[in-house]
Amino acid sequence: MSGMSMKLMLRDAGIGIALLLLIVFFSLSTEHFLTPNNISNILTQITINLILAIGMTFVILIGGIDLSVGSMLAFCAVVAGTVLTIPDLSVFQAVCLATLAAIGTGVVCGFLNGWISAFWGLPSFIVTLGMLNIARGAALQVTDARTIYSFPPSFNAFGSQMVVGVPVVFLIALVLVAVAWFVLSKTVFGRLLYGIGNNEEAVRLAGHSLMFYKVAAFTIAGALVGIAAMVYMARLNIASPIIGIGFELNAIAAVIIGGTSLNGGRGTVVGTLLGACIIGVLANGLILFGLSDFMRQMITGVVIILAVIIDKYRERITAS
Amino acid sequence: MKFFTAASIIALSVAAALPTAASAADKPVVGLVMKSLANDFFKNMLEGAEAHEKKRGDYELKAIGMQNETDFESQLNGVENFITQGVDAIVIAPADSRAMVAPLKKAMDAGITVVNFDVSLDEQAKKDAGIDLAFVGPDNRGGAKMVGEALAKSLGAGGKVVILEGNPGADNAAQRKLGFEDAIAEGKLDLLDSRTAHWETEEANSVFSTMLTAHPDIQGVLAANDSMAIGVIKALDAAGRSDIKVVGFDNVPAVAPLVKDGKLLATVDQFGSQMAADAIDKALEVVAGGPKLEGWVKTNIELVTKDNVK
Repeated sequence: MSGMSMKLMLRDAGIGIALLLLIVFFSLSTEHFLTPNNISNILTQITINLILAIGMTFVILIGGIDLSVGSMLAFCAVVAGTVLTIPDLSVFQAVCLATLAAIGTGVVCGFLNGWISAFWGLPSFIVTLGMLNIARGAALQVTDARTIYSFPPSFNAFGSQMVVGVPVVFLIALVLVAVAWFVLSKTVFGRLLYGIGNNEEAVRLAGHSLMFYKVAAFTIAGALVGIAAMVYMARLNIASPIIGIGFELNAIAAVIIGGTSLNGGRGTVVGTLLGACIIGVLANGLILFGLSDFMRQMITGVVIILAVIIDKYRERITAS
Repeated sequence: MKFFTAASIIALSVAAALPTAASAADKPVVGLVMKSLANDFFKNMLEGAEAHEKKRGDYELKAIGMQNETDFESQLNGVENFITQGVDAIVIAPADSRAMVAPLKKAMDAGITVVNFDVSLDEQAKKDAGIDLAFVGPDNRGGAKMVGEALAKSLGAGGKVVILEGNPGADNAAQRKLGFEDAIAEGKLDLLDSRTAHWETEEANSVFSTMLTAHPDIQGVLAANDSMAIGVIKALDAAGRSDIKVVGFDNVPAVAPLVKDGKLLATVDQFGSQMAADAIDKALEVVAGGPKLEGWVKTNIELVTKDNVK
């Protein structure tokens, strides 16, 4: 094993220990935390954020940020919802077409995010801030601000399907984590994404097209938003143009708590999985603990800041 | 911000100095200031107002909305623009019950008839600004109490319930919570927990699933709007709990099938699509020389159950 992946594993182990400590704390302090039902609930609750955060990991690794994922989720959902409610399609046809429509919409938005920022050399912060408004406006425009509902019952049932107590939607997210892990750590493509985050100029001088990799990272993030939109619809049986407000911030929080550096070049998707779990466990555990909504919000904020402070120290230790 | 205030004061004095020729030509002009048009409820309201304009035909409607529920700035600018344009009446659903008092005072000082609907302006803030302004709108507290009573009747005394609240700080959220609590007290229900899900379906789904884990003995849920009730019902489906009764608020189209098959016990219709139109009627009466509005002009609300759902 190379020194670098060794270090990455150590980083992930640290976050894993933090998650374990939280789990132990809530198991001891609340009655229902470690019950099978509650664990299924937590896994269901983190699924959408996890899928969005996987995409966000790609973007943050190249030193970018994507503020548009919440709005894109709404746009993908209403496009897919419109397709899903087309009469005269079999459920199978409708679901396949809707999935294609959701992912397609996400890919187009993500591609535009990446292409515009790479072509004009603009900060992705600004470009995706623009997309945040474009996608939200588009979602409202296509639906005329109406909520789409009444999806096929079997599609609806899929959203709460379990396999030995594990939600199927979470398993899908886990498969996506595995694929992302493989792409990022075992392919040349993935290593070059890290390379761009560490030293863009070096990658360019080595003869690689920065444009291609940047556009690819944002497009992958867009495709994942499309998948998350399908999960949202299956889980809640509605597609509304006002869903997903602020989801980008939760996804960014999962990535950062998971130990990925906002400067790019450092981090893993396994860390992101753990980060999403920490957010989900906190949200669930603090309610079971009986803490007020306001205290809960404050604690989540404290954890985000703690995560970056710890990361700072970890960086120093692994550097020395 | 300072610049805008200064600019609007200048604009205001210019507007006051000039005769309001353009608008006063024939039909009175009503400026309608709405909340988020991304919300079905306000969207319906705007469409109701537009239909009303066509039907009456004796006034001109200018409507503005805002981007989201907390976008106070665009409401503020909207009111100031209407003052500059010299409209005859401003009919407003304020985004914030305190922040909008000052610009509305300016409008009243400029001789514009102002009618406040949907969300009532804060009494103390009105008093501080030295204005007296009537409110045309539904009784959120009364509506919440009504739907809460329907739940209480169905559960009987001692029924264990939880509340899902709207945005902390929003006046209608606070009123609905108070109404729920009135019904809980009168129906002798047992309130186990009360939390916000910020009016949102997904958050309501997550928060309620967790509340259900903490309190598996929940028998009833009071959701402060239908979007959250939908999230609760999905959580109950997922948990296989058909024994828990849910009530909502707003009667949005998406809940009609849920009311029909009994998954949503009851909701409240505030006839949002008529509310703006009603407020405009009241404003036009005053513009035409009618008496000043006073106090609280309550608009119709109705309990929607399996028996009367459309």
